[in-house]
Amino acid sequence: MRVSTAELKAASEPDPERDAEPDPGRDEGGAVDVAGPDSCPGGSAEVGAASPDRCPDGSAEAEAAAPDAHPDGPVESTPPTSRFRRALTLTCVFALLLVGAGLLFQARQLTDTTATSNHALTDTSATTQVIGDVSNTLGKVFSYVPQDTRATEDAAKELLGGRAAGQYIALFGEVRQRVADQKLSLTTHVVRAGVTRLTHDTAELLVFLDQRAQRDGKPATTAAAQLSITAQLADGHWQITDIRAR
Amino acid sequence: MARMTIQPLLIAAMVLTLLAGGFAVWAGWSWYGAAHDGSAAYAASRDKVLAAGEQAVQNLSTLDHKDLAHGLDMWQDSTTGDLHQQLANGRSEFEKQVQQAQTVTTAKVLDGAVTELDDRAGRARVMVALRITVQAPKEKPAAKDSRMLGELTRTPAGWKLSALGQAPVGNSAAN
Repeated sequence: MRVSTAELKAASEPDPERDAEPDPGRDEGGAVDVAGPDSCPGGSAEVGAASPDRCPDGSAEAEAAAPDAHPDGPVESTPPTSRFRRALTLTCVFALLLVGAGLLFQARQLTDTTATSNHALTDTSATTQVIGDVSNTLGKVFSYVPQDTRATEDAAKELLGGRAAGQYIALFGEVRQRVADQKLSLTTHVVRAGVTRLTHDTAELLVFLDQRAQRDGKPATTAAAQLSITAQLADGHWQITDIRAR
Repeated sequence: MARMTIQPLLIAAMVLTLLAGGFAVWAGWSWYGAAHDGSAAYAASRDKVLAAGEQAVQNLSTLDHKDLAHGLDMWQDSTTGDLHQQLANGRSEFEKQVQQAQTVTTAKVLDGAVTELDDRAGRARVMVALRITVQAPKEKPAAKDSRMLGELTRTPAGWKLSALGQAPVGNSAAN
């Protein structure tokens, strides 16, 4: 039997004789009123008094009793002001927690974003340094004169790393022969460079280059190039690790 | 029975309320710090500028002769200041030219970066590498890589292009 004792009491107290004379007419009477018309306060003896078809067994009884009866019996005995205070406190605590969580979420969104982890422009000295290093490197490794391709290759070995080093060797292998045959000289300078992404040791840049090529005895031609560069900080110097033509 | 539980309950409630209050204050303090963090705001501006700049450059490199009005509205909507005025003034002339040429121009931004940002003055400069494809009637589409330098100005409706031009080639003195 899952009916609480309080309920049993409430149901049986007002009308003690009810058990003695079961009467269908009692449906409107005291005992049933207290517990509510739907509930089945008593055991099997009372089934007759309450609506019999509603409570054929124990489980249905508990089910039927649930909407009207309060399972936390003792609450009923506390004064209403105390209950009100308790509800107020709980509401306050809940509201404070909610507000706090909301503010924390907002704060996290403001600080912990991809925007703040990217130091491009926000860290001006690092931004200037990476632009300077990368521009210098590009100027050195993409400039050569037919008399001395060695100097360019040495500079490349020192200043390029990762994938860029391999890319450069493949590229320069092709060019070297032509440089000697055609007496080709190339001068590269950076027109403009911008940092798209910068962390403490990696950077991504977009670089606009001008490449001025001159064959022996012919007027120079200038070509535009756009490169996306990835660089890594090694020993206080930014080394280019990847070059993609744009 | 109920009386006996009231005292510990009261203490528990007070502790709970205090904890919740403390938590809320701490959260508020964190939020205030975050909201007034200058470098975070600057970083957010930078990303906004880049997004607006790339989008505006793409808009101004896109035009379909079959949908001229919408395309040119977009051009004017992406710009402000002198550039906006220029586009508005030359609109009818340009409309005629494009209608005659019957070209469809599309653009794809390859990469872009913010090179300068003055968050207070609301001015910024961007560089954008893009591929522009022009489709003329009965011709193969012609793709051309282009590098643009743009200047953006902050308006009540967001960052908009106030100047746009090709990055000059072979004339480094101008930069």
